[in-house]
Amino acid sequence: MQIVKKAQAGSFESSDIMVLVEPSEKPGRYIEIDSSVDIQFGEQIEYAINRKLDELQVIDIHLIAKDKGALNLTICARVETAVKRAAGVQKGFIP
Amino acid sequence: MNFEDTDFRMEVLDIENPFDVKMVYDFLKGLGFEYNTGDINYTLILYNLNDEIIGTGSLNRETLKYVAVAEKFRESTAFSLIVTSLANKALEKYKRCFVFTKPQTAKLFKGLGFSELATAEPLFTVLEFGYKTIKDYQEYLKTKKVQTQTNDIAAIVVNCNPFTKGHKYLIEKASKENEVVYLFVVKENLSVFPYEIRKELIKKGTAHLKNVLILSTGPYIVSGAIFPDYFIKNESSNLISEKQAEIDIKIFADYIAPVLNIKKRYVGTENYCPITAAYNDAMKKILPQAGIQVVEIPRITSGDDKNYISASKIRKAIKEDKLHEYLDFLPEVTQEFLLSQEAKPIIEKIKKNESRH
Repeated sequence: MQIVKKAQAGSFESSDIMVLVEPSEKPGRYIEIDSSVDIQFGEQIEYAINRKLDELQVIDIHLIAKDKGALNLTICARVETAVKRAAGVQKGFIP
Repeated sequence: MNFEDTDFRMEVLDIENPFDVKMVYDFLKGLGFEYNTGDINYTLILYNLNDEIIGTGSLNRETLKYVAVAEKFRESTAFSLIVTSLANKALEKYKRCFVFTKPQTAKLFKGLGFSELATAEPLFTVLEFGYKTIKDYQEYLKTKKVQTQTNDIAAIVVNCNPFTKGHKYLIEKASKENEVVYLFVVKENLSVFPYEIRKELIKKGTAHLKNVLILSTGPYIVSGAIFPDYFIKNESSNLISEKQAEIDIKIFADYIAPVLNIKKRYVGTENYCPITAAYNDAMKKILPQAGIQVVEIPRITSGDDKNYISASKIRKAIKEDKLHEYLDFLPEVTQEFLLSQEAKPIIEKIKKNESRH
């Protein structure tokens, strides 16, 4: 999937993750993670994000994640929504 | 806490509606805020199902303001709900958002992923969040950095609204006394002369100075987000603008000067604008502590001793249709521009405008 504009998904609430994505200036994936559980789960969060991006076939992306202890499935859901919004294939949201 | 208290309903305030505005005003008054719709363009309110106001938050372009939650709902998710929603709204349009808050509440925003830029005790802390941060601005500066033999590296921050002989003199003097001069042009488009034009005139007017490098300030030096008072027509120089200036200068000293190894900052003496004068005073207090010398150059005059050259005089002259009397203040590039067709819309705008900048 091709990232064509900036988009975000998620919130700052506890057990959630805020994901911001935008087209990257240089080719490749640029992932910045800031997590309240970074020491324990930082690598796992990055792994989860990368696998989701693989699945969505995203090659070039700048992704910023502000995590507040989200579970794996939440992380994947937020990444997927943000990427789809940024690729222009997802519209609206389910509150 | 029962169901009605935790189920929130969010609404966008109609800023034009005095009844709505009064409701938020009264709510914020109780929490110690002076709500002023003049400096915001978006406000949201959170109610519960009993129609009690739980909290509110506002936006002024990319800056979050007046974020407050009623005492008894502070344990709830109301605060992060408001901040998330405001940040989302700001980031639709901007690359980053800022928040101005009291130093003691800064930790709440840090907990939500905002990072602190600077603090001016006891009034303000500025934090930012978004796609682009000050690190990206520092990267931009690094690409512009010039290798030097000496430590004679100076910075000047100018708005040049429009470019006068006074600006030219200041830049020429700094150019003569230093190996490199980084000239920051205020990017914020809140001045009557648009950024592109201000920059173009400066570029042409300083083309003969090979050691002057023109840089953009981004949103970090004298911007509407960080130093709003400079652009507001408020004339009184009070504690608030002093503290805003302090934040602006601390960001310069902490994030910008070290990247470019800036050792001096050149300024002109300020005789007219109290806010700029307060800014200069704050600079003399803060910058020497960071190893940066403040070099204040007396303003130059035209004709007699008291006739100081000033860009605000030019704008006033344009407003009063007396520009021809003041052409002496301007270098050729600006004269040419103001007398050209291209300047017509700007001149019309100045004639209608009441603001100082």
